[in-house]
Amino acid sequence: MTLSAKPTDNETGSNPENTVNAYVRSDGRIGVRNRVLVLPSVICSHVVADRIAGAVPNAVSAPHDHGCGQIGADKEQTERTFHGVGANPNIAGTVVVGLGCETIQSNDVATRLETAGVRVEELSIQRAGGTDPAIERGVEVATKLTDTDETERTTVGLDDITVGVVSTDVQSSTLNRADPLVGEVIREVVDAGGRAIVAGTERVQPHASDIVANAANAEIASQLEELLETQARLPARTIGLRRQAADRSFPDLARQWGELPIREVIPYGASSELDSGVALVDAPSGFAEAATALVAAGAHVVVHVTADGIPTGHPIAPVIKVTGNEDTYEALADDIDVLATDPSTTLVDTVRQVLNGEASCAEQHGLSEFAITRVGPSM
Amino acid sequence: MAEFRGYRRENGSIGIRNHVAILPTSVTASALAERIATEAGEGARATPHQMGVQQLEPARKQTERVLVGTGRNPNVGAALVVELGTESIDAEAIADQISESGKPVETLSIRDSGGTTPAIKSGKKQVAALLDAVKTTRREKADASELIFAVECGGSDATSGIAANPAVGNACDRVVESGGTACFSETPEFIGAEHILADRCTDERTKAKLLERVEERENLAHLMGVDFRGAQPSPGNQEGGLTTIEEKSLGAISKGGTTSVRDIVEYAEPLPKGSGLVLMDTPGYDVESVVGKVAGGAQVVAFTTGRGSTTGNPIAPVIKVTGNPLTWKRMSNNMDINASTVIDGESLATVGEQIYETLLAVADGQRTGSERRRLEEFAINEIQPQQLDDSRRYAR
Amino acid sequence: MKGRIIDDVALIMTERDTVATALTDLDDGKHIRTDEGSITLQEAIPFGHKFAIQRMEADSRVQKYGEVIGTASDTIRVGEWVHTHNCESTRGRGDVSKSAVATQSKGVDPE
Repeated sequence: MTLSAKPTDNETGSNPENTVNAYVRSDGRIGVRNRVLVLPSVICSHVVADRIAGAVPNAVSAPHDHGCGQIGADKEQTERTFHGVGANPNIAGTVVVGLGCETIQSNDVATRLETAGVRVEELSIQRAGGTDPAIERGVEVATKLTDTDETERTTVGLDDITVGVVSTDVQSSTLNRADPLVGEVIREVVDAGGRAIVAGTERVQPHASDIVANAANAEIASQLEELLETQARLPARTIGLRRQAADRSFPDLARQWGELPIREVIPYGASSELDSGVALVDAPSGFAEAATALVAAGAHVVVHVTADGIPTGHPIAPVIKVTGNEDTYEALADDIDVLATDPSTTLVDTVRQVLNGEASCAEQHGLSEFAITRVGPSM
Repeated sequence: MAEFRGYRRENGSIGIRNHVAILPTSVTASALAERIATEAGEGARATPHQMGVQQLEPARKQTERVLVGTGRNPNVGAALVVELGTESIDAEAIADQISESGKPVETLSIRDSGGTTPAIKSGKKQVAALLDAVKTTRREKADASELIFAVECGGSDATSGIAANPAVGNACDRVVESGGTACFSETPEFIGAEHILADRCTDERTKAKLLERVEERENLAHLMGVDFRGAQPSPGNQEGGLTTIEEKSLGAISKGGTTSVRDIVEYAEPLPKGSGLVLMDTPGYDVESVVGKVAGGAQVVAFTTGRGSTTGNPIAPVIKVTGNPLTWKRMSNNMDINASTVIDGESLATVGEQIYETLLAVADGQRTGSERRRLEEFAINEIQPQQLDDSRRYAR
Repeated sequence: MKGRIIDDVALIMTERDTVATALTDLDDGKHIRTDEGSITLQEAIPFGHKFAIQRMEADSRVQKYGEVIGTASDTIRVGEWVHTHNCESTRGRGDVSKSAVATQSKGVDPE
C-alpha cells in the first residue's frame, strides 16, 4: 500500500473495479469520510464533546466511559486507543476535550496526535472556565478544523483502502453464509494491494495452534502464540463465545479472512503498520469495542457480521451490517445492509458503494456507539 | 422537623424528581435509548452505558443490579427498559423487578419492533404515555428522615480536605440527626484513613468488612503491578497539592461527617432508609461511583470538587460544592455552593447548614447547575476478568 | 476550619503535623512567623501545596491531619516544598512488592 496520493492511471489499464472515490488529504492520507472528531479524554467531558459535535456539521463525538481512575496497562490501552482513533484517515482533524484533572490529560493526547501529523485542537473545561465557555470554544475550533481543502472525492486505488472486519458470533449462519462473503471482500482488497484487519481474538483462541500455523512468518507466529497464551489465562469477555468457537473447525473460522496468512498482530488501540495483507487485532468480539479497535488500527470501513442483527454504527467509520440469518434480516430489514443468502446483492459491491460515500444503514439511522475495552478495573 | 415536598411512590418511598427512566440492557440499545429520551422531551432520562451483550456472570449481575436499582430509585416515576433482544440480560426480568416497587414499567425490543427506526417510534409512544402517567403524581409533604443523601468527591485538591469535605460532612451529620441516611463511598479513598473509619464502625462485622474491602481495592494496584499514583491521586489532584493517596483519603473521609459507620454495602446495593451513615464499596472513579449510590436509592447527591468537576447524573440532582475560591470564581455556572469561605474563617457549621438547606431546597424542586445544563453522565462499573481470579470475593 | 493558621498565610491542621498548607500562593524566600519563631520558604509554594515546618530525614514520616501521609524520599529542610518529588506514598504501591512496603514502613516507624 502506498501512503501517497495516487490517482489511478487509466492508461495502465487498471481495473476500474479496483478503484474507489475518496478524499485525498494534503499529507497523502486517504479518507472515505471527511469528519472532524470531538474526542473527550474522560467521561467527565463527554456531554460537552457531544454538544460540540452536535453543533458542527460533519463533526462526530466519541463519547466513552473512561479516562480517569485508570492505571498501568489499562490506562495505556485507553491512551493508545485515543491516539489510534484520532489518527484514523476518515478524520480531517480532532478536537480533544478534557475536564482538566483527569488521569489521561487532554493536552498529552493532543500532543501525541500532533506529533503524528494529525490536525488537532485541544481544550479543557476547567481551563475554559466551565462547560458553557468550553462548548463555545469547542464549536469554534471544531468549525475551524472542518475547513479543509479535501472537499472533493478523487479516484484512488483499492490498494489505499483498509477494511475492518468483525463477526460478533459463531452461529452457523455467520460461519457458513456471511463469513465466506467477507472472505471474498478481503481477498479482493488484499489482491489489489490493500489491507484487511480482523478483530475477535476470542474466536480464534481455542484454535491457537491452527492460527499460529496460519501466520505469515515465524515472528508473527510467536506474537500470535504469546497473545493467545495471555488470553487463555483469563476468562473470555464474551460469555460462551470461546466455548462455542472451540466447537467449530478452524477452516470454518478462517473463511472470514479468506484463509489468507496473518501478517501482523496489532494490540488493541494501536494503528496497523502493515503495507498490504491481513492483520489480526487483539479485541473482544463485542461489536462496539471491536469496532473501535478496527478504527484505531486504521479501518476506513467496518464490515460487521451479526446473526443477532446488532444495529449500531460507529462514529468514525461507516459500518456495513451483514447477516446470514434470514429471521434477523426479516426482523431488522432497515438495519441490515446485506443478507448473505440473497443472490441479488453482493457484499463486494456494497462495500465499494459505502467507500464511495453512500450511507450504510447504520449511517442512515445515525445511531452509533463508541466503546473502549478495559483491561483493568476502575480505581 | 425539616420537611420538603416530594413525589410519594406506591411503595411509600419519596422521590424528589419525577422522571421517566429509559434503561438500555446493553451497549447495543444505548444509543437508541438516548435518542428516545432526547426526542421524548423534558422528563425522560436515558442511562446509556457500555456494558456488553454477553457479560460474564459477576459483571452481568452487577449491571442488572444497577439497572434495577436505577429504575427503582424514587426519583423515577416510570421506566422503559430497552433491549436489542438477544442480550443475556432479560429486559422483562429487569422490568419485573422494577415494577415490584409499584411503578409503571414497559419494555421495548428493537428486534420485535422491526429495527431501529420503528423502535424509536414505538419507544417515543411508550415514553409519552409513561410521562402522562407520572404527571398525575403531585408533590406532597415529606420528612427529611426520608432522604438518602449521597456524597462524592471528585477533582479534589487541598481545599477539599480542609473546606468542602468537612462542610459537606457537617451536612451529613445533620441528615443523620434528622433520621435520614447519608452515604459515601470511593473505597480507594479510604486507603491510609481506614483505621479512622474502622474505629467509627458500630460493630465488628462492619469493621472487618470495611478493612477487607480496603485491602481488596489496594490489591488492585498489585494486580496491575503499578503505583496507584497517577490515578490516585490523579494529575489534577497533584496539581492541586495532594501528594499521596493517604493525604487524599484523610481529606476525603471528612465528607461523611462524624457519626458512626453503620454498615458497608456492595456497589449499587439498596441503601437502607433511616439508617444513619452507611458506606458503599465503589471505585473512586466519580461517575461510576455516583451511579452506584443512585442505584442504591439516593435521591440527591452532594459532590465536592476543588478543581471543578462538572458532572451530574440523569436520575438524581447533583449539588456541586467547591472549597477552592478560584474555581468558584472561574466556574460559578457549574458550581452550586461556595465552601471556600471556610478558608476565610467562616465556620464549618455555617457552611454545613447552608449545604443542608440547599439539599432541602433541591429536594423541593430547586434545580442544580448540572440539572439546568442537563449534564447527565452515566457509567456502570464493570468487573474485569482479572478481578475474577480473586475467587474469595466473587465466589459468594 | 480545623487547625491553626500561621501568619495568615498557611494552615497547620494538627500539632502532630510536619507540614503546613499554603492558603495563598507564597513566594520563595518569604518569612512566615510562627508561634515558635519563623520559617523561611526555600521555594515558591502554590496555593494548597505543603511546606515542611520541621526537618524530615529521608525515610521518615510526613504527617498532616495528625496522620501519616507518606515517607520522605530525601532529607526535607524546613521551608521546603513537600510534594511528589520528595514524598512517597506507602500505600497502593503495586510497583513494589507488598513485603517491601511492609519492611519499609516498619523501618521508618519511630513508635
